[in-house]
Amino acid sequence: MAETLNSSETGGGRKFECAARRFLYIWEGPIRIIHWVNFFCIIILSFTGWYIHDPFITSTQHPYIMGNMRYVHYLTGVVFAVSFLARSYWLLNGEYYASWRMFPNPFDKKDRHTFWTFIRYYTFLSKDAPHILGHNPVAVVAYIGLYALFAFQILSGFALWSQADPGGSLYAATGWLFAIIGNQWVRWFHLLVMFLIGGFFINHLYSVVLFDFKSKSGEVSSIFSGWKPDRRD
Amino acid sequence: MGDFSDLLESHGVTRREFLKYCSALGAALALPLSMTAKIAEAIESDTRPPVIWLEFQDCAGDSESLLRANRPTVGDLVLDHISLDYHETIMAAAGHQAEASQQATVEKYKGKYICIVEGSIPTEAGGVYCTIGGRTAVDILKQVGGNAALIIAVGNCAAYGGLPAAHPNPTGAKGVSEILPGKTIINLPGCPMNVDNLTATVVHYLTFGAAPACDRHLRPLFAYGKRIHDNCERRAHFDAGQYVENWGDYGHRQGWCLYKMGCKGPETFHNCPTLRWNEGLSWPVMAGHGCVGCSEPLFFDAMMPMYRRLPNVPGFGVEASAVKIGTAIVGASAAIFAAHGAVTTARNWKKIGKAKAEAREEISHLNSDSDSEES
Ligand code: HEM
Repeated sequence: MAETLNSSETGGGRKFECAARRFLYIWEGPIRIIHWVNFFCIIILSFTGWYIHDPFITSTQHPYIMGNMRYVHYLTGVVFAVSFLARSYWLLNGEYYASWRMFPNPFDKKDRHTFWTFIRYYTFLSKDAPHILGHNPVAVVAYIGLYALFAFQILSGFALWSQADPGGSLYAATGWLFAIIGNQWVRWFHLLVMFLIGGFFINHLYSVVLFDFKSKSGEVSSIFSGWKPDRRD
Repeated sequence: MGDFSDLLESHGVTRREFLKYCSALGAALALPLSMTAKIAEAIESDTRPPVIWLEFQDCAGDSESLLRANRPTVGDLVLDHISLDYHETIMAAAGHQAEASQQATVEKYKGKYICIVEGSIPTEAGGVYCTIGGRTAVDILKQVGGNAALIIAVGNCAAYGGLPAAHPNPTGAKGVSEILPGKTIINLPGCPMNVDNLTATVVHYLTFGAAPACDRHLRPLFAYGKRIHDNCERRAHFDAGQYVENWGDYGHRQGWCLYKMGCKGPETFHNCPTLRWNEGLSWPVMAGHGCVGCSEPLFFDAMMPMYRRLPNVPGFGVEASAVKIGTAIVGASAAIFAAHGAVTTARNWKKIGKAKAEAREEISHLNSDSDSEES
């Protein structure tokens, strides 16, 4: 359960006392660590992946450059996959804000209403949206999509890797993907999804800053510290 | 089916050469050396099954591959020696006589003969795009192939539809396994198939009475179980970052990696780099051209453009690569969120101004407070 921290001692009768009644611990340590591991993994994977797509540095500058790039790509891929699995564990067993329990329920009238309120807010059809601790329902949908992209990227990455040994267990575990989409298209999508993740990144950064301004609830700092002010009043 | 040793002798092939060939074949099939005698025995035996070679929508390239030898090798003799009862391109009989001999074999050896298929099978418009002796390819394949002990689909067309099945596939061309699902089929795709793999497959069947182990695309693992990229003699240049950038440039003359020239080797499976072609003389990448992926189910469409590694997506009249589509997506999201930011700022302009004014006022209060404290 969320811990609280009283902010009354920051008062003093002035107008600029802290607007928050108290602080709530929203993002647990593992969630923050996973967030930043993913962040760095994606940057490294995108850079080395782009190099694999278009080897723009040649051997005259660096001997064995492709071998090293691929090594870093695969190693980071493994770290990313572990991070993904860890996040999946917290999705199932984490506390409220990190778990599936905070998904909006499409069969619940109130949840649907909140969802559309946020859609209207994002599309300028309304000026305000309720303050929500944790993810707002539209963001949750975006994260489910992102989670699917990660899953595909990991599955396709390991499948592509496994082709070096079609008799091996990695191929047995992931090679079925090639029965659904041929390996050329797996590779094509593995490249395309990098751009989709890039598109998400822009969206994500913008939305976080937007809500940081709108709700003055420390969205940006919360992913470093874990704390958010309780401003639901 | 005359005596095989007489045949060898008449072609000037010694027993020693024959056994050498048998052990090479065993190596191609990844069998232990001790199997050599068994292979020789199987080839020499007189119980070899007859073979019917069917040609449909093809270019006879696989027949070419079969006949291409400039000097008779043992391999050719093995294939010659199995009783090739029906092969349109090379048999002496013609017309009704030929069809009659085909039917005779089907009747006499029902469930025992080998059927080799070359070329794709058209299915559109009732299959009229390919008819032989008044019968459609589908019809012939169902009867002749359906009664065979084993079907070997040679070349990409027979295996997966190949060139005739390329977009927009006007004849509805299909591979054998789509017409006869459930039948024992071995695919030997390639454009053309490598005749040494055909010999090895046939000999495997002669020796063990069963088809060799195959992958999910029904290709024998001994020939298609390893990626071209992993056995390529230019592979070291790939990892080293030495690439051909233009045809005839320094790297090309040095034999560097053809990855940037659209080589499909990283996604294709065949023993070209190890077995090679034309009696082991060379193979495409050795000759300086990237792999075009002719032994994959995705050939032709997903292997084009020939000089790009990844396929393009048709649409809106232009072909678009993943990079083009991806850049458009990232660009669009950047534009959308920049616009959103601008609109949000504009809508809140007054609010922001008010907050700023309040803050300014507060600061001046603070300053005057501290001024009075000091004095
Ligand atoms: C955010 C996640 C990832 C991104 C953005 C990414 C990006 C890329 C890109 C752009 C390519 C080049 C595609 C091409 O042009 O052919 C690539 C190739 C590849 N990636 Fe990833 N990747 C990611 C995750 C992974 C993971 C988790 C693995 C698994 C270990 C992996 C394994 C591979 C492999 C095996 C290749 C082919 C390399 C080769 O042929 O040598 N990737 N990746």
